[in-house]
Amino acid sequence: MHGPVTEVLQFIDLTTYTVVFLFIVGFIGGLVSGFIGSGGAFVLTPGMMSLGVPGTVAVASNMCHKFPKALVGAIKRYKYGQVDIKLGLIMGVFAEIGVQVGIMIQRHILEKFGPAGSNLYVSFIFVLVLVIVGGYVMRDAIKMKSAVGDAVVTPPIAKRLQKIELWPMLTFKTANLRISMWFLIPVALATGMLAATIAVGGFIGVPGLMYIIGATSIVASASELVIAFVMGLGGTLIWAYYGTVDIRLVMIILAGSLFGVQLGAIGTTYVKDYMIKYVMATIMLIVAVSRFLAIPKYLNQLNVTSLSEGIVKIMTQTSFYVMCFALLVGAGIILFNLFKARSLEKAIPVPVRG
Amino acid sequence: MGQENTSIFTEQSATEISEGDFPAPARNKTPYILVVTRNGHMAEPVMDYALNVAERLKYSILAAYINTLPFYRDGGRRSKLFAAAMLESSKLFREKGEARSIPIEHTDASGKIGRAVKHLCHLEKHIEFVVIDQGISMKEVSSQSPVPVFSVIYTQAKAGRVSKTTHNRTLNEGVSRMSTTTSKKRHVKNCFIFGALTAGLYAAVFTNQELVMKYFTKGGFFALLPVAVVFALSYVHGNFTSSFWSALGIEGSKTTATKKADIRKDAPASVDIRKDTRPRAQVNA
Repeated sequence: MHGPVTEVLQFIDLTTYTVVFLFIVGFIGGLVSGFIGSGGAFVLTPGMMSLGVPGTVAVASNMCHKFPKALVGAIKRYKYGQVDIKLGLIMGVFAEIGVQVGIMIQRHILEKFGPAGSNLYVSFIFVLVLVIVGGYVMRDAIKMKSAVGDAVVTPPIAKRLQKIELWPMLTFKTANLRISMWFLIPVALATGMLAATIAVGGFIGVPGLMYIIGATSIVASASELVIAFVMGLGGTLIWAYYGTVDIRLVMIILAGSLFGVQLGAIGTTYVKDYMIKYVMATIMLIVAVSRFLAIPKYLNQLNVTSLSEGIVKIMTQTSFYVMCFALLVGAGIILFNLFKARSLEKAIPVPVRG
Repeated sequence: MGQENTSIFTEQSATEISEGDFPAPARNKTPYILVVTRNGHMAEPVMDYALNVAERLKYSILAAYINTLPFYRDGGRRSKLFAAAMLESSKLFREKGEARSIPIEHTDASGKIGRAVKHLCHLEKHIEFVVIDQGISMKEVSSQSPVPVFSVIYTQAKAGRVSKTTHNRTLNEGVSRMSTTTSKKRHVKNCFIFGALTAGLYAAVFTNQELVMKYFTKGGFFALLPVAVVFALSYVHGNFTSSFWSALGIEGSKTTATKKADIRKDAPASVDIRKDTRPRAQVNA
C-alpha cells in the first residue's frame, strides 16, 4: 500500500433513495451470504459506485460491512453446529496472505497495462472462475439431487488427498476430516487472491472446501463465513488506516444485511445439502454472464475491438442488471425453499428419534 | 449441587413436613409410580402414560420435579420460572388424576437426577418403577435407581399417542427447555431491548454525521473507531435481528439442528485413526 491517501475523498450526501437502495441490497446480499457463505458483496461495490461513491470508498465500505455480517452469520450457524472454527481460522489466515498476493498481482497489471488492462484481467478471471467452478458445482448439485438416499459421499479428489500423510496433519472435528495443511494452503491462498480480485473469495473458498478438502456443503459454507470474517477484518483495518471507510454507508448496509444473514442461516437448517450447491452455482453462472457482457467495454478501451459506443453502453448497463438479477434469483430460491420446508415441517409431526 | 432437599408441596403444605419425613407410604399402602421430570412443565404424554399404567395396575403416582440447576447464575430467574412452571404443571396433573380418581402426590427437589431418584426411592419404599420425562439421561437414572426405569416417546403433534421405550432424548437446549411458554415472550423482550440499543447507536452516529465523518476518516489509529463501532453494531443489531425473526416464529429447523449437533458430538470417534505400523516384539508363551 502507498502512504496515506493524499487526495481529498468525496463522501456522498445521503438521500432517501440511497438509504433504501443500500438497505435492500444489503438485505438480499446478507440473505445469500448467510446461506452460501459469501456473495452479495459483488453487487454492492458497483452498486455504491453507481450512487456516486468513489471507487476506493466503495471497496473499503464494502469490506467493512463484510466482516460483521460474516461474524453474525458465523455465530448463528455455529449454534446450529455447522461451523468448523479451526478450519475457518487457519484458512482465514492464509487467505489474508492470498489477499495481499492478489493486490500485488493486480498492482503489477495496473502498472503494466493500465486501468483498462486491469479491468479486463478482473473480468476475465471472473468469467473463467465462475464458468468453470460454477459449472462443476451445478453438475454436482444436479447429480446429488437425482441420487437416491441422503448419504453424503466425500468427493474423490478430497478422499485421495485425505489419505496422503504429509506433516503437519490437521484434524477438524466438526467437518469430520483429517488432512495435511499443505492442501489447505493453496485453497486458502486462491480464496484470498480471488477476494482481492473480485471481492467474493467464497466462489473459490466454498467449492475448494467441498471438493478439495472434503467438507460437506453445509459445513463449507458455514466455515467460509469465518474465513470471510478474518479476511474482512484484516482488509478493513488496512482501508480504515487510510481513512477510506464511510461508516454511514456501512451502517445502512448492515442494517439490512444482518436481517438477511440471520434468515439465510436459518434457511440452511431446512434444506438438503445439494440446495446450497444449487443456489451457489446458479448465482455464479448468472454473474458470469454479467461479467462477460462487461468485457467488450474494456476490449474497446484497449483498441482490440471497435464496437459502437451505444452497444457498449447497453452491454455495460445490462451487465449490472444481470448481476442484480443473479442476487435476486438466489434470494428467491432461498426464501422459497425456507418457507416451503417450514410449512412442510409444520404439517407433518416429527417423531422423536428412537 | 449434590445435596437434595426434598419437600412435598401440594397434598400437604411444605411447612408441615420436616425434611426427610414422608408420611405418604405409611398413609397409603398402594405402590407408587415415580414420574420424574427436570423440566418445569412435565410433558403431557408422560403424565397420560403414567396415569394409564397407574389406573390399570391400581397404583398411586408420585410426581417429582427436580431442579437440576438450582445455582444457575441468572439471579434466581431460572429457579423462579421453574417453580412457577411446576405449579402450573402439577395443577394439570392433579386435575387429570382426579378425573380418573388416581391419587397423585407431588414433590420437588434439587440436585442431580440420579441421586434425587435414589433418595426418593429410599424414602418412598413402595415405588415400583420410575418413568422419566424428556431431557433426562436414561443411563444416569438407571445407574442409581433400585427399580426399573422407563421413558416415554411421542410425536410432537399427536401428544396423546404414546409408546413405551427405554430411549430418551438428548438435551441440547439446556436451560431454555424448561419454559416453552415464556421463550417467545423472551424473544419479544430481547427484540425490544436490542432494537432500542440499535436505534440508539444509529441515532448517535447519524445525528452527529459531520463529527463522526471528521474523526472516522482521519486514518492512522483513528481506524479503530469505525471497527469498534461496527463490532458494537454487530452485537446489538445481530441480537436484535436474531430475536426479531425468533419473535416472528422463524427459527431453525429443530430436527436438523439436533442432527447437526449430534454429528459434531460424534465426529471425533469417526475420524480414521492411523494404524500403528511400527515393528514390535512379540512373545509366544
